[in-house]
Amino acid sequence: MARQILPVADQAQVRAYARRLTLKYPRQLAAALGLHALAAVTGLASPLLLGRLVEDVVHGTGNVNVDVMALAIAGFVAAQAVLTRFAVYASARLGERVLAELREEFVDRVLALPLSTVERAGSGDLITRTSRDVDSLSRTVRHAVPETLIALVAGFFGVGALLLVGPVTAVPSLIAVPLLWISTRWYLKRARDGYLRENAAYADMTEGLAETVEGARTVEALGLPERRRARTDTDIARSYAAERYTLGLRMVWFPSVEMGYAIPVVATVLVGGLMYIQGWVTLLQVTAATLYVQQLIDPLDRLLSWVDELQVGGASMARLLGVANVPDDRDPTGARPSGAELTATGVRYAYRDGHDVLHGIDLAVRPGERLAMVGPSGAGKSTLGRLLAGIHGPRTGAVTVGGTPLVELPLDELRGHVALVTQEHHVFRGTLRDNVLIARPDATDAEVRRALEAVDAWEWVSAMGLDTEVGSGGEAISPAHAQQLALARLVLADPHTLVLDEATSLIDPRAARHLERSLAAVLDGRTVIAIAHRLYTAHDADRVAVVEDGVISELGSHDELVAAGGAYAALWDSWHGKSQTA
Amino acid sequence: MRALPVADPGIPDHRSPLRFLWWLARAQAAPLAIGIGFATAWWLAQALVPAALGAAIDALTARRSGELIAWSAALLGLGGLTAVCGTLRHRYAVFNWLSAAYRTVQLTSRQATRLGATLPKRLSTGEVVSVGNSDIAHIGNSMDILLRGVGAVLAIGAVTVILLATSLPLGLMVLIGVPVMAIAVGPLLKPLHRRQHAQRDLQGDLATRAGDIVAGLRVLRGIGGEQVFAARYGEESQRTRRAGVRVASVESLLEGAQILLPGLLIALVTWQGAHFALDGRISAGQLVAFYGYAFFLIAPLRTLTEAADKLTKGHVAARRVCRILELEPEIIGGTQAVPGGPLLDAESGVLVRPGLLIGLAAADPDEAIAIADRLGHYAPGAVTLDGVPVAQLDLTEFREQVLVADNAAKLFSGTLREELDVRGEPAGLTRALHAACAEDIVEALPEGLETRVAEAGREFSGGQQQRLRLARALTADPEILILVEPTSAVDAHTEARIAERLGKARAGRSTLVCTTSPLVLDRADLVLYVEHGKVQAEGAHRELLASCARYRSIVIRED
Repeated sequence: MARQILPVADQAQVRAYARRLTLKYPRQLAAALGLHALAAVTGLASPLLLGRLVEDVVHGTGNVNVDVMALAIAGFVAAQAVLTRFAVYASARLGERVLAELREEFVDRVLALPLSTVERAGSGDLITRTSRDVDSLSRTVRHAVPETLIALVAGFFGVGALLLVGPVTAVPSLIAVPLLWISTRWYLKRARDGYLRENAAYADMTEGLAETVEGARTVEALGLPERRRARTDTDIARSYAAERYTLGLRMVWFPSVEMGYAIPVVATVLVGGLMYIQGWVTLLQVTAATLYVQQLIDPLDRLLSWVDELQVGGASMARLLGVANVPDDRDPTGARPSGAELTATGVRYAYRDGHDVLHGIDLAVRPGERLAMVGPSGAGKSTLGRLLAGIHGPRTGAVTVGGTPLVELPLDELRGHVALVTQEHHVFRGTLRDNVLIARPDATDAEVRRALEAVDAWEWVSAMGLDTEVGSGGEAISPAHAQQLALARLVLADPHTLVLDEATSLIDPRAARHLERSLAAVLDGRTVIAIAHRLYTAHDADRVAVVEDGVISELGSHDELVAAGGAYAALWDSWHGKSQTA
Repeated sequence: MRALPVADPGIPDHRSPLRFLWWLARAQAAPLAIGIGFATAWWLAQALVPAALGAAIDALTARRSGELIAWSAALLGLGGLTAVCGTLRHRYAVFNWLSAAYRTVQLTSRQATRLGATLPKRLSTGEVVSVGNSDIAHIGNSMDILLRGVGAVLAIGAVTVILLATSLPLGLMVLIGVPVMAIAVGPLLKPLHRRQHAQRDLQGDLATRAGDIVAGLRVLRGIGGEQVFAARYGEESQRTRRAGVRVASVESLLEGAQILLPGLLIALVTWQGAHFALDGRISAGQLVAFYGYAFFLIAPLRTLTEAADKLTKGHVAARRVCRILELEPEIIGGTQAVPGGPLLDAESGVLVRPGLLIGLAAADPDEAIAIADRLGHYAPGAVTLDGVPVAQLDLTEFREQVLVADNAAKLFSGTLREELDVRGEPAGLTRALHAACAEDIVEALPEGLETRVAEAGREFSGGQQQRLRLARALTADPEILILVEPTSAVDAHTEARIAERLGKARAGRSTLVCTTSPLVLDRADLVLYVEHGKVQAEGAHRELLASCARYRSIVIRED
């Protein structure tokens, strides 16, 4: 299993992309920010008005109309409420738009991944990116980004108001800045890894539970209840340890931050009060400043609590963008094949440097021929199949069609010549018709039917109806039926050369031979290379290639090989019930 | 705080969701009570800040610096109390959340292992898996919110008392205004939840679509169709976007209302307070305090809204958990000790004779599965072991002695050694890997048997999974082993080798192999041919090839 992890984008790429996204909708962004700013400004009126009231009460000047002031407070509150409503709505609209664009671009990138990467990298990494990273980025774009923006805007104007009321009364609140700064830095440095571990441990726990549930019968059959219980408890213990770690971080950070919020209020009222007693500032200034400082806690708190979410979002973005960093594997030269003959000469191939799995293969496949490849597992049959289908280029040697190396054909062109069907039994979400039409969306129902008939699938498909929804969330399709759909798709795509890698392995052996024969009738004239694990497939082929230890050890028609009395003949005899020694 | 998980989650009360939640709460009564205590102290410390602040303002307007310093110290003290109690409250909230969630996971997992083969028959796996994906979080939330929720009620009460004591009309204003505010946002919550629900559904669909594309990427890149899929994804993505905007439209209204309603109350309180202050009934400091109280009340009010939401969701989640917990296994077994001897299915006439490797070739693959299920006591049937009906036998012991290994069996994640060696016999594992021709799979792994297998072995090809499952069944080394199509996905070369080694690996034990592979049947001591649910012929493979035309056509598929 040569698993290759997909690349991750670097910081510069993430930043450039974020900048491009931010500036892509300047009008919408300006509108959202403007509304938030106005809302923040209207929110600053109440403390000032209350300050005026207090001053008036104390000094008894009587030149302030309480009713007007109260109405003004109500008016500003109403304005703030309306502005906030539209500000939140505008930023959410923009956020949803950007988010939709992000995920659509990601899926486009996934759909453009080079075939060799798709074949080689396990789907696990890509699935994680598609589910967890898209989710976490959604959270970031929906909540963390707007909340941070709102907090910044509100904070900016709050500080501005504080300074306007009186620069002197703003100074005392600064004493909390070092406390907040240092504790938050300390926390953020440790938080990200802590939360990643926590999430991973939690996911392990829920996946462990899912496994126990899905494998409940296996658990009973093998007498594993004790083990599964122990596994659950171990998972929980691990999750708890990870939770304890981040909880420990918060046990330090939370009280520091809370004190960081409390101290400025105290400092402002105390120092401001003493200044007032000294006659340096007015009562209005002290009251308003104290209330402003108190009001600033909210945006500050929002800011601090979303910072780590922003970090997580950034990491997810890096993984989503990284998919685009996979280099293209094809090397189109513009050369066009001059025929349909598929030839391999001196082909060697290695997944890891210095570990060749194919050791110099020479093979000429005649157009229209049916060639079966047999051999023990691990001998290199599938690798050779992929090379013959043009998915990987050989390390040395060449695989050509009509004289042109397969890797020099662009993907679309390659598909017109050679196609590969593996043990794959994925059923796409959609109707049965959709599942067959993938390769040729313009095909008619009659053509779909012909393709399904060719793979013995028409009977059950017509019983279910072509419009039946299948795939995840739809009707269940057995793996055997799924393989039939994959083959029907191929019949519809109709390339001149087909590589079938155990493409009927999941179909009941009793039905598979019939299917292969009816398929052969439809594919008459097409070149078929079938990697087979059942001997009748070899028996029915024009020629048989026995692959052992990365070389073709026997090549010829079934009868020739049986007559030659080699490994193939021995296998055939035991299959057929003849004594091996006879 | 205790270490989690608890050794024994206990016997849950699953008669109703509420009883279940109550049972959970009682199981963690002490941490819950302590947490509620801290949460209440935390709220009260915050509620008293306006009082201290007002007093400080009064002190400074009176130009009494000593009093100002004293009240500032009180303010700082309240800040410190808020910090300490808030942190401890959080600590207990997390503990209670985890405690309830972990206990639910333990209960569900234990119930799944108790139900065994009954589970997939009675519930879809999706239903049970959703417990892990979302229900435990909702149940945890419902415990967590109890702390802050109870504290919030007490804090609102305390503030009301303070206000009433100072001024009856002001107190009444808050006392009436607060519930009115809570009710006023009510009409927004329903459409919000509906739209959120619609959005979540679409989002789930979209995620499934993306997962679908990734899972089928090989196919798409192999023969085309990317455009179609990109377009479909784009459509659904835009639909999800519009649903998100619809949610935002209500959400932003709610956001606005949550500023407007308390804001109006603040204005009202300030207006009344200012009049009182001008009349000299209250001081300027008290006016600031009233403003502060009204401001403070926003937070506990939001907590109450949150509590209503989380308790409702917790209740729904608890109902799902109860549905699982109330199930009983279908097959329980008896009390008799399990004897050795022949295993007979009277209905089909299949007899598993001690010490032999028997091949079972069925014309219809479903018949073989049905027979295997009956023999393994997964389905009721007239099956006897050494003449004793299997229903009378101790089930655990029976499962130890009779193992049915089929292709639906799951590989679990973990190190390969642990997952294959279910009985803890390393020597047996090495022999089994050899017999199942699975050594090359292990060799190709970076850390051999110690490699961790993820995703239930999904990284392995169908043939590899099958060989690993066979190795696991052979390692278990039961007295009677029933294999269902154990080589259907491996190539002929490997199949021939497995067939050759299987007899040796099972020497002295009874084995029934349901297969139509001539390579395997050829190695069996005896072959049974089953058609129409009954044994039609039996004998050695080659005898049957010669004597039974139907058998020959099924097995060799010559025509």
